[in-house]
Amino acid sequence: MVTAGLALAGAAILVAGTVTIMVAIQRRPYQAEIAPTKGSPGQGVLYAFTLGMAPWAKESARRHWVAYLRGIVFHIIIFVGGLFLIASPWLTEFPSLLRVSLAALFALGAALTFAGFGMRLSDPALRRLSTPDDYFALALVTLFLASGAASAAQIEFLPAFWAISGITMAYVPFGKLRHFLYFFYERAFLGLVFGSRGVLKWKHE
Amino acid sequence: MNSPTKTKQNKLIIAKEMLGNLVDRRVLTALEVCVRCGICTESCHYYQSNPKIEHTPYYRAELVRRLYRRFFDPVGRVFPQWFGAGETTEDLLSKLAETAFSSCTLCQRCTLACPFGVETAEIMRITRSVATATGNAPDILVELANAAIAKEENAELFRDIYLDQIKDLEKEVQDILGSSKARIPVGEKGARMLYVPLAGAHTIVPQAVLFNIAQESWTLGMFEASNYAVFLADGVKAKHIAERITKEAEQVKAKEIIIAECGHAYTTMRWDVPKWRGSPLPFKVRSIIEVLDEYVREGRLHLDSAQNSQPTTYHDSCNLGRKGGIFEEPRRVIRAAASDYREMTPNRLHSYCCGGGSGLVAVEEWADIRLQAGKLKAEQIRQTGAKIVVTSCDNCRHQIKELSERHDLGIEVTSVSELAVKSLA
Ligand code: SF4
Ligand code: SF4
Repeated sequence: MVTAGLALAGAAILVAGTVTIMVAIQRRPYQAEIAPTKGSPGQGVLYAFTLGMAPWAKESARRHWVAYLRGIVFHIIIFVGGLFLIASPWLTEFPSLLRVSLAALFALGAALTFAGFGMRLSDPALRRLSTPDDYFALALVTLFLASGAASAAQIEFLPAFWAISGITMAYVPFGKLRHFLYFFYERAFLGLVFGSRGVLKWKHE
Repeated sequence: MNSPTKTKQNKLIIAKEMLGNLVDRRVLTALEVCVRCGICTESCHYYQSNPKIEHTPYYRAELVRRLYRRFFDPVGRVFPQWFGAGETTEDLLSKLAETAFSSCTLCQRCTLACPFGVETAEIMRITRSVATATGNAPDILVELANAAIAKEENAELFRDIYLDQIKDLEKEVQDILGSSKARIPVGEKGARMLYVPLAGAHTIVPQAVLFNIAQESWTLGMFEASNYAVFLADGVKAKHIAERITKEAEQVKAKEIIIAECGHAYTTMRWDVPKWRGSPLPFKVRSIIEVLDEYVREGRLHLDSAQNSQPTTYHDSCNLGRKGGIFEEPRRVIRAAASDYREMTPNRLHSYCCGGGSGLVAVEEWADIRLQAGKLKAEQIRQTGAKIVVTSCDNCRHQIKELSERHDLGIEVTSVSELAVKSLA
């Protein structure tokens, strides 16, 4: 009961923090392109959220394919983890095959997230630029997925999962994890600017 | 008189205030979204030419991010170390200024490499603003921007000298065309196009030849297109300098402003000036490259590729290409003007900066930095086997010429307009 309360409190902080951040973003000035366009801003945004993120569209992704793939996969797993958290009060009603699959998926996610420590520490540049916030965020997400895996497998771990989820969600607005929100803004800005200028489009001549 | 300590404190206060004011939605997002994953590392030509941590895009942005968090983030203000922020000192401001001016050409290549699209160039642009406001910008850029403003204020003084010079150039054009009717009109009311050159006959004579052949209704601008205040990210001065041109276009009642082959001048007039004014310009803005492409496609200009049989390649200016969407226009003209055209790899959207952009070529003491950063471009050129490198930006042209000397490339660097004149059928 206490841990369920913790999860709910964390969720409330997450929602309030997200709204606060969005208001803060909106309060900042924004200069849209005013000049007659050379391309289409709409197409640019669509491109930025789809093909523009495809690994084959980026030389950097081909070069860093492990990091890129890891990033995509564990972010998808975190999203599933969020859905699992919402549905977790009804965990007993989940078919066992689904629980086993989720446990395996979250375990993979936890491993991939944990690998982030290794990647950060083994690269001299990343090591020098990593902050306590980076490591704390990695630890929280690793624990979130690991406890998700444990509770999907064994219902006894559910209170621990809720507690960790609560702490993780409560931390989101205060540290690096808030990048999840800015991601949508960044891709949209990229699409709007480069789309208007005819730089990002489905097909170049 | 201010004591040195007080001046230092003032600089820090100005820096904080400016940073707070300049962080708009795009910059805030760029500051917040980076997760320090390192995926963008090799996208930067500085890193490719000299791989060290200071040359990674995220290192540059991180310097500013930490300062910003220390000043404005609720957690960062109390626990700056949590975000890796250290003391805010005048040395840090100088370091930031040097990074923004000498170690980033604002080319935006890293933005496309980043999974999020972090606009490191935008972060560096506001850092240049802060540096300019705190007196940390390169003197030469400040002097050049001020000179452009002074030129407008004393326009009558230099007008006659300018007209004399243009008369001489007009003779050159007449000689090339073998026609005494060829003209370089200046300040001609009712001309359809106001062509805005750079300081240099190579941005007037070939274009005048081509305009005359195409029987264009045009007039030459009094002021040059380059805008050094843009490099300083000094919005007030940049707007002032740009307005010299828009005022002139209004005076002659031109329908179009045509910008010489210059990357930043084009981006400024085409995309930035409307934002600064808060409304679209009452005339169309195009690069001379777009005009030449139109002439070739419409048959107003007949080029003979057999006149240029040497292997030829094209370097995409970051401003015209990645920031302006002008990729195919120069290529169509070059293909019509040269028989052995070869692409660099990568090109277009993914082209590497030559290393000379965003004002670097103007600052003599950074020659080594930019020539080293251009090593990759030199290598790309060498791999094409080209003997002629065409580029549609004067800064790139200057840089590639110097790269050729330093790396013994043995190439000729030219503009699209000059190549077109050489291939006139
Ligand atoms: S700028 Fe983008 S690619 Fe580079 S470290 Fe930051 S998030 Fe990663
Ligand atoms: S904008 Fe260009 S020069 Fe600056 S960090 Fe990015 S890739 Fe490097």
